[in-house]
Amino acid sequence: MTRGTLIYAAQRLVLITVTAVVVSSIVFVGVHQLPGTALIHERDTNPATTAALMHYYHLDLPWPQQYWLWLTGVVLHGDLGESLVNRGLQITPLLIRETQVSATLGIAAVLITVIVGMSLGTLAAIRQNTWVDYTASTAAVVGYSVPSFVWAFLLILLTVGGFYRWTGGLIYEDIGWGKLEQIPVPALALGLPYAAIVARLTRASMLEVIRQDYVRTAWAKGLRSRVVILRHALRNALIPVISILGPLVTGIITGSVVIEFLFGIPGLGKEFVTSILSRDYNVVIGVFTFYAALVGFANLVVDLLYPVLDPRIRY
Amino acid sequence: MAAIPSTIEASEEQLLAAEVGEHVTLGQDAWRRLRRNHVAVIGLGIICLFIVVALVSIVWTPYPTWQQALGPTYQGPTLTHPLGLDDYGRDILSRVMGGAGIALAVGVGASLIASCIGIVLGLLAGFYRGKVDMVISTVINISYGIPDLLIALIMVLLIGRGIQNIILAISVTAWLGMARLVRGQTFSIREREFVEAARTIGTPNSMILLRHILPNALGPIVVQATYLVPAAIIFEAFLSLLGLGVPPPSPSWGRMASEGYKALQIAPHIVLAPCIALSMTVLAFNWLGDGLRDAIDPRMRR
Repeated sequence: MTRGTLIYAAQRLVLITVTAVVVSSIVFVGVHQLPGTALIHERDTNPATTAALMHYYHLDLPWPQQYWLWLTGVVLHGDLGESLVNRGLQITPLLIRETQVSATLGIAAVLITVIVGMSLGTLAAIRQNTWVDYTASTAAVVGYSVPSFVWAFLLILLTVGGFYRWTGGLIYEDIGWGKLEQIPVPALALGLPYAAIVARLTRASMLEVIRQDYVRTAWAKGLRSRVVILRHALRNALIPVISILGPLVTGIITGSVVIEFLFGIPGLGKEFVTSILSRDYNVVIGVFTFYAALVGFANLVVDLLYPVLDPRIRY
Repeated sequence: MAAIPSTIEASEEQLLAAEVGEHVTLGQDAWRRLRRNHVAVIGLGIICLFIVVALVSIVWTPYPTWQQALGPTYQGPTLTHPLGLDDYGRDILSRVMGGAGIALAVGVGASLIASCIGIVLGLLAGFYRGKVDMVISTVINISYGIPDLLIALIMVLLIGRGIQNIILAISVTAWLGMARLVRGQTFSIREREFVEAARTIGTPNSMILLRHILPNALGPIVVQATYLVPAAIIFEAFLSLLGLGVPPPSPSWGRMASEGYKALQIAPHIVLAPCIALSMTVLAFNWLGDGLRDAIDPRMRR
């Protein structure tokens, strides 16, 4: 961590904050244009009760004023307000808890993506134009053409029903969240399409790198192939691959909305879908703000990884 | 690799060809190379098949896509219903056929709209630079900070769930990548000699953009637009899975998958049929996109 890196990171953090504020304000306006009100599911339709509730949640104020109240609450107390549907539920701790769930799933998916993608890509490159290469390359195109939810269906069929049937009930998987063994299946579904993209990129850049002089020198020195491939070639081949990690992280976050929904994982994505369907404005805005910050942070981490892999890059 | 001419040689060949009278346009040249790519041709074939199926499904499907109780619900494949029946006893083959039209309409529609927006804004940002670029780039960068699915979900709730609205909601975020690409292309092309030459003879800016810059950026644009189609198809399926896609009883593939999900273990055919159709369409477009990329820009060839 040089001083330049620190300054760069600080600048980016400011930018993330600005983005989050801008996003929250746009969403604030957008959400209030939605048909139906937040009290749409209210059973007590007594006008006095409704008015009191509207007043309590500041819904009777003009929206610039509402936004100002909301923003000062966030900035001063880190308070994203209360859920409009689940009365009394504080949004900040709720979203922090859900972010942990989503982040666990996301990190597992990124790990799977990088490990599977890189190994397949490297393998295909060093065995170029053999059946290994053709199989891996075809698998890669098929891999990213099959969307994450289709992978989810296939994996559920395989693990939930398949394993149970074939092992006579010895091994079974129940989908959901809370146990360690419930992480891999949704993470695989989420990561596989992106692993295919990483594999393609790794293969292409690896093919370029292994033809370079310094790699030939490494072979000529009599280094073991593992050292040549992993230390000399792969490290440099990774630089272009890192550049898609940013979009990849965004993609995985998007995909996680659907995957969390299908697997019933209590993360940010599932919260977003439930909250927007129940017109829980405050939660919707909170989730958006969290997402904006999350994407920003993830991209910052990716950018800070560049100089680690490529010392020529400095901030 | 010797058989593949470099770009310089190719352009010389074209010049020669033009001189001796055989006129080979960039498009014809690309088409020639595309035809030699087997995978791309297979992709194109699958796409044509789905287009035919989509057109046929407008006038004829084995059973009406909406008709329920054609037999026992969750019935597996039989002779009369080759892909089985779903949870309402509807014929899945008919519904998969009907879904092809929706998928293609959403994919191609969203790709076209997004491309138009992206091309115009990208050209403007790349050509005029300065303040115009700053505004457009800021919008792009901020939008990149939000997962596009969330924006699309809000859009759908705002404007409703008709098929046109779904296309619009997908386009709202899909143009970002295209704008970035066109902006980058414009940045480099506007510095080239022929643009300078056009400017010295007093060509107006609009003409420079349309006649000189746009045609030279067209290759990557076509490739990107092709990739946008499967992306939009997957996106529609995402929306349908979350219950916000094309409204029922339209037989959208994503919706069929989400309806069948609850019976995945006892009747996997309900989910698998639309999922396979969807994956095949996406695969075909990706194959075609890869082929186009190689055909239009021979340097990208593996």
